[in-house]
Amino acid sequence: MTAQPNVFTMDATQIDIVPIEGELNVGPQHPGSGHLRIYVKLNGDIIEKAELDVGYVHRSVEKLAEVRNYMHLIPLVERPAILDSIHMNLGYILALEKIMGVDVPDRAQYLRSLAAEINRIASHLYGTGILAVFLGHSTGFMWGFGDREVWVEVLQALTGARVTNSYIIPGGVRRDLTPTIKEMIEKAIRYQRKRIPEWKRIFLNNPNIRARLENVGVMSKEQAIAWGAVGPNLRGSGVYYDVRKFEPYAAYDRLDFEIPVYKEGDAYARVHVRFNEIEESMKIIEQIIKEIPQGNILSDRFFKQIPPTRLKKHYETHGKIVFPGYYASFRPPKGEAISRVEAARGELVYYLNSDGSPKPYRLRMVTPSYRTIYVFEQLAKGARYADLVAIYGSLDYFPPEADR
Amino acid sequence: MMDILQDIKYVIFYPSFFVMIIFPGLIAGGLFVLFAIWFERKIAARVQMRVGPYYVSRFGGIAQLLADAIRVALQEIIIPAGVNPTLYVIAPIFPLLFAFLPLAFLPIGVIPEQGSVFSAYYHSFFDPGVNMGVIAALPTEYSLIAVLAVEAAYPIFIILQAWATNNRFALVGAVREAYLSVAYDVLILMSVIATAVEYHTLDVAKVVQSGIPGIVANPLAAFVFFVGLIMATSRFPFEIVEAESELVTGPATEYSGLLFLLAMGGSYFGTYVYALYFAAVFLGGWYPLSGFPGAVILFLKAAVIVLFSVFLRSVYGRYRIDQALRNSWRLLLPVALASIVLGIVGGWLWIR
Amino acid sequence: MDQVKIREYDKNKNPFRLFGAHVAAVGEGIKHAIKPKTITLRYPDVSMTLPTNYRGMIRLYKDVCIGCSLCAMICPADAMKMTTWEGKKLPQINYGRCVFCGFCVDVCPVDALRETRVHDAAFQSRRELVFNPDKFNQDFDQTLPVKGTVRKVRAVIDENKGIRYVPDE
Ligand code: SF4
Ligand code: SF4
Repeated sequence: MTAQPNVFTMDATQIDIVPIEGELNVGPQHPGSGHLRIYVKLNGDIIEKAELDVGYVHRSVEKLAEVRNYMHLIPLVERPAILDSIHMNLGYILALEKIMGVDVPDRAQYLRSLAAEINRIASHLYGTGILAVFLGHSTGFMWGFGDREVWVEVLQALTGARVTNSYIIPGGVRRDLTPTIKEMIEKAIRYQRKRIPEWKRIFLNNPNIRARLENVGVMSKEQAIAWGAVGPNLRGSGVYYDVRKFEPYAAYDRLDFEIPVYKEGDAYARVHVRFNEIEESMKIIEQIIKEIPQGNILSDRFFKQIPPTRLKKHYETHGKIVFPGYYASFRPPKGEAISRVEAARGELVYYLNSDGSPKPYRLRMVTPSYRTIYVFEQLAKGARYADLVAIYGSLDYFPPEADR
Repeated sequence: MMDILQDIKYVIFYPSFFVMIIFPGLIAGGLFVLFAIWFERKIAARVQMRVGPYYVSRFGGIAQLLADAIRVALQEIIIPAGVNPTLYVIAPIFPLLFAFLPLAFLPIGVIPEQGSVFSAYYHSFFDPGVNMGVIAALPTEYSLIAVLAVEAAYPIFIILQAWATNNRFALVGAVREAYLSVAYDVLILMSVIATAVEYHTLDVAKVVQSGIPGIVANPLAAFVFFVGLIMATSRFPFEIVEAESELVTGPATEYSGLLFLLAMGGSYFGTYVYALYFAAVFLGGWYPLSGFPGAVILFLKAAVIVLFSVFLRSVYGRYRIDQALRNSWRLLLPVALASIVLGIVGGWLWIR
Repeated sequence: MDQVKIREYDKNKNPFRLFGAHVAAVGEGIKHAIKPKTITLRYPDVSMTLPTNYRGMIRLYKDVCIGCSLCAMICPADAMKMTTWEGKKLPQINYGRCVFCGFCVDVCPVDALRETRVHDAAFQSRRELVFNPDKFNQDFDQTLPVKGTVRKVRAVIDENKGIRYVPDE
């Protein structure tokens, strides 16, 4: 914006009151931008072009990975998407386990799925909350965060930390499921089930919210595939794709669940996918609690290395795995691996290359939000300015995850 | 000595002064607006699993708003480079003023010939329409329309304010306000015409003194007016002008300190004045009381309306500007037309 | 692969249903305004006790430690460092760096480190964040200046309210 000359002396033709065509600089310090800048070119109320200027929360995770050893990376890879940390952690460990050739006991597999699904619910609630506040619906925002708190509380009981869980380690998981936690989870599920009708009345079926989301940011099936949409955004456009079904990891091949797919491809369909996924995740969690097999939660290869006295003190009484000294610094064999997990926002890919030293030669992560950037730019074209935030929220774009 | 007290009393209760400054005007209105904002925060907090204002004073932090107001008022006023400072500073005063001025025409009660503190002014504020005195700053027989006429100037000053701040978000907000005013002014005017036709008058006092609340006589008009009220004062779900996540704070984006308070106060005062008007025309106003107690009844009814309209924040998000326009023209205009028909029928068959 | 079911949401938009949905939304709001499900903790007056296995601040048992430096090796944030203290090799911790992953506690072969449930702490300078082995050897105990008594509560999951706080004994 250029300095404006004195309004009293200037010629009427110099004043342009209505920005017929113009640019708006949304962000990075703007209540609707999050950690990014959106450079919006407007024609009246219609967006001609929205450029995403990303990178404000770039933390160089991939480069840092080259100077940290494998254990050190666990907390690091969680950081980009802290509200989805179990999935970030899980994908990395899957890749690492492929290189190391470890097999994971059944119980640990189930626990991984359990933690992942709890995290998925929490993450979807968070995303819905953000969408709600973008639409000005402050109750949805607070409810999303309030309900998420319940699941975060469950995760905290299971893993020992609210969001920085670092729960999954090579060969298994760190803590076992205890009867108290089981009871907590059952209560949390019952609570969430009671809440969903309330959510529907005030948010999902609210005509105001419907008006804002229906037919907004419509992405056809072909476009979704061509633009590389992932996760709920892809499934909201009628594409049946979910890594949990197509390339099952953890315990998903033994669990029975559905993948919600919606035909419409608009923002409202994406929100519906998320809500249905919350319900589906609760079903998965119930199954896991019922069917979880007995056994170890750490691969025998590492389990045997734990001193017996410590094992007795921690594992047998508290269900807590302690680390053998091996973890402090280990050298996996030479090799490379790729792993895919279905994180809350979509497919998350890790590529890990080991040169036999204690540090990875290369770690590459393709995060779901990173793949949303292009989708966002495309969907914003031709939308109304007010829809920018609706599209943003409905895509559940999370800048730190994209910037890494 | 008694004479001086008498004189002071005469001046204080002089309706033009009393209505505008004391009750329900500046002082009562200002306090009530603070209360309404507190209520808005508190009720939203209850719906949203939170606590809301809590620490400042007892009784649920009721003094929080006073504290906030003082804090904001004492903040530095930043005048951006590239604006005209004079215009920038005086611009936010106008919307507030024009949200508030319509009160001058609105009667808030009637004066009986004897027995009320206002009886002394019976003759100077005599309204032939109701055959009684009215408590109003400027008694007129056309109050039904006069209030709206002044209120209609409000959007112009919002645009002036946005223009004076030379900010794009403010400008977009102002353009939205301009569009929106096309929608709500028509709705409000039509529902008022329906009422006027039904009661055969343009005098609010006469509408009230007829003893039939407008919401009974013409529920459609009442509904349309209420929606128009929410739109006109940008309460949720029509908080489109300020739209925080899109436009920062719309026309008030650049303001800070006292100017911000003024810029944001306008819409709340607007809600308050509209609510008083709504209470008088549609909710039976002060009837059957007169004098000061009648004014209190009117105030309480208006208070309920204001509190309900701020409560809507915890239920709704905001509509898009085109949706608000489309809904008001496509869905509410037919209702407004129906209300006029209903008014004609009611005025012909029922209310004489 | 199971049957692929492509769903569609309900697109009914007749004005009466719309009006009904408005009423339902406002009704839901009023219901919650009357019977709130408040879960906010009134923090400085009421403070939460964290569950037993919470990974909070760490405490060192100086006499147990054998100075093997595994904790320093596994620490992802370089928070744990070995120093020579009174002629013995002991770890010191920098809470400015620690991410509370608990790896050090889990890897210590003799259980010389333990997680406490303490989470709230305030420091005046960065230097204070570094705990030398002596300071590290004590239970972290910071008396923060608070007015009145602080009630201790524990969070439990409740079916109706989400989270309920019960007094902690
Ligand atoms: S908790 Fe983690 S970051 Fe903190 S000192 Fe221990 S190993 Fe290091
Ligand atoms: S791992 Fe345990 S024994 Fe070894 S140096 Fe650290 S605290 Fe001491």
